[in-house]
Amino acid sequence: MKNPIIAFLGNPNVGKTSLFNRITKLHQHVGNYPGITVEKREGSVKANGKTYRIIDLPGTYTLFPTSMDEEIVYNVLADKKNPAHPDLVVVVAEPNNIKRSIVLYQQARELGVPAIFVVNMIDEVNAKGMDIDYQKLEAYLHTKVYTTDARNGKGIAQLIRAFDERPGYSPGKFEVGNAYKAALEEAKKAFPLHTEYQTWQFIAQENISFLTKEQQQTLAGIREKHQLSSNALQQAEAIERNIKIEEDLKAIILQKDNHHLHRTNKIDKVLLHPIWGYVIFFFLLFLVFQLVFILSEPIMDWIDENFSALIDYTAGVLPEGPLSDLLTQGVLAGIGGIIIFVPQIAILFLLISLMEETGYMSRVVFLMDRWLRPYGLNGKSVIPLMSGVGCAVPAIMAARNIENTKERLVTMLVTPFMTCSARLPIYVVLISLVIPNETFLGFGLQGLALNILYILGVVAALLSAAILNKIIKNQHKSFLIFELPSYKTPDWRNVGMNMWEKTSGFLFQAGKIILAMAIILWVLGNFGPNDKFSNAEEYVQQANPALSEEELNEEVASFRLEHSFLGYMGMGIEPLVRPLGYDWKMGIGLISSFAAREVFVGTMATVYSLGEEIDPDDDEERETLLSRMRSEINRNTGQPSYNLASGISLLLFYAFAMQCMSTIAIMKRETGSWKWTLIQTVMMTGIAYIVAFIAYQLLK
Amino acid sequence: MHKSFSLDLLEVGEQATIRQLDSSELPSKFYEMGLLPGAVVKIKHKAPFNGPIGLQISSSNTLIAIRKSEALHIFVEK
Repeated sequence: MKNPIIAFLGNPNVGKTSLFNRITKLHQHVGNYPGITVEKREGSVKANGKTYRIIDLPGTYTLFPTSMDEEIVYNVLADKKNPAHPDLVVVVAEPNNIKRSIVLYQQARELGVPAIFVVNMIDEVNAKGMDIDYQKLEAYLHTKVYTTDARNGKGIAQLIRAFDERPGYSPGKFEVGNAYKAALEEAKKAFPLHTEYQTWQFIAQENISFLTKEQQQTLAGIREKHQLSSNALQQAEAIERNIKIEEDLKAIILQKDNHHLHRTNKIDKVLLHPIWGYVIFFFLLFLVFQLVFILSEPIMDWIDENFSALIDYTAGVLPEGPLSDLLTQGVLAGIGGIIIFVPQIAILFLLISLMEETGYMSRVVFLMDRWLRPYGLNGKSVIPLMSGVGCAVPAIMAARNIENTKERLVTMLVTPFMTCSARLPIYVVLISLVIPNETFLGFGLQGLALNILYILGVVAALLSAAILNKIIKNQHKSFLIFELPSYKTPDWRNVGMNMWEKTSGFLFQAGKIILAMAIILWVLGNFGPNDKFSNAEEYVQQANPALSEEELNEEVASFRLEHSFLGYMGMGIEPLVRPLGYDWKMGIGLISSFAAREVFVGTMATVYSLGEEIDPDDDEERETLLSRMRSEINRNTGQPSYNLASGISLLLFYAFAMQCMSTIAIMKRETGSWKWTLIQTVMMTGIAYIVAFIAYQLLK
Repeated sequence: MHKSFSLDLLEVGEQATIRQLDSSELPSKFYEMGLLPGAVVKIKHKAPFNGPIGLQISSSNTLIAIRKSEALHIFVEK
């Protein structure tokens, strides 16, 4: 027998997810709804002698969708053929907003879906100054009403026992206004098998994805004939229902004074203050970044050390040969490159979910919306953009908080322009190569150049957002209405779950792609098409018979790279990068930094034959590399390879180009489409190419 | 009878009753979140430089934030 599906439905901030976590404990996973990218949180619980599948539907205020999340909710509930269509809906309410939840409950019942009603956060009923007559409420809703408190587990057992209840179709409280009756009757003829309310929903919505083209045309025809707009129908329903509920609930719920809101209002006086609100927000932001970097640094160092040790150990144990190399330099180095990001991601999401759980995140939206709106972004885009200064990978994941599909997409597309920490070592090396160490108006020129590069990142992000905003079509009307929930102490269970979900999602989903790319790059760099690669020692020795052993090894490594597939690729793209002022060696650097920008320094070290291990933080080693790079001559121009023109051009290229397969992998995962991932890569690299080209041609 | 005016003209701390919403300009979500004719609202916060407006809906004791551009389409009476 099929396991019964129980779906949790409710407004945001009613503790729905806490309840879901309480019931399913660790038996849950995150997947996608078929064909779309909205996350589906699903879990299971064994009770009453069977296993229930529990689905935590995205939070919504109504069944009429205004965002992608809400569209899912409607499709799951209204389309009986949807694989997630529930056997029972649990509508979760909170005492304060109980009226809105009742609307949602009535809508579900009238659609014909069995549903029970739960009042969560029951311990706050008194503090919220309310008195609920449950017997009358049960009679009013035609169902048993359950009460729970997800934070301490009160009422959960009773709720689980109710999972076998199937309250039937309820004719409902909603009466269609006279102006719409004719249209409704006509639609009922076209959909004889559906409930009257379902048919009403069909007329009141455009683009219901699970109806056939003909059915949609029939509905559009009816709307046109009776001159009805779907928006007007939805508003008519909202008004009609609210007037009725307001009236009916007078006898059921007694509302006095809300103490919670007093406290919230007091805190908001400070946190939403026109001046102090911003001061506090920027201080918190500063604190978050400090914590992300400070807390993660020792862990990252530890991972780095242990991985190097593991690689050395593996290399020592295995017999020398291509297999050992692949395992150590390809696979293990690739895994190391994934795990190194885990501490930053985990800490960032710990702090972000704390901000969400307490209710502060909505305040951030309130404060920042005005400043990001001109660029087609949303107040919530602040978090991804600022996190992008650390690393674009967790930053793009943080964009999930943005409900509006378009604003979320634009945010994700522009976030990698922010100067991430991986760009820093390249900037440091290149700036010290081409920018003179002099002062201008008392500022060091080199430091100034670094600042400008950071500002360029922000400018590029905002400008490209403004352009994308014009290009991308919005499926849903752009508006902003959101609740400022009362402040709460965080539910640690939710914080922990959230942190684990985000971190493991990165580790296993993006990790697969990063690993594959690392192996491909390793193969390209370690195999060559002819004997110049395999017999490199002989060639080098013949050309320079007087080399010491150490020099010989360096020369051989350099000669190998030149004649590897990667080397030939570098020479292959030389015509393409020549207008930017680069030679084939820099081309190799560009290709290998497609894996990750930080690879550039290491690759340059190999190309200029210093041996693989170079630590850009070590001053002495860096100086050696720098002097080699300074004396390098570009064989196309006869000028130094790293002069002001090519250096600036290279800096600009790195500032704008998409050169990070972790970011590409995470974009694919988060957008669920290669289309946007490719558009982003092409857009960023295209801008980088054009800007670098202009800079080189002007400066040379 | 008092004259009705758009919601964005209210100052922080002022209270008014919603009389009418320009239904062609606003999605039904505004109605569903409690901004309905007859609802009593109190302005709690205004973000600087024409930023969002935070208001308390008396009947449900909730705080809602909307943009100024949307407040223009909501008409209230004191």
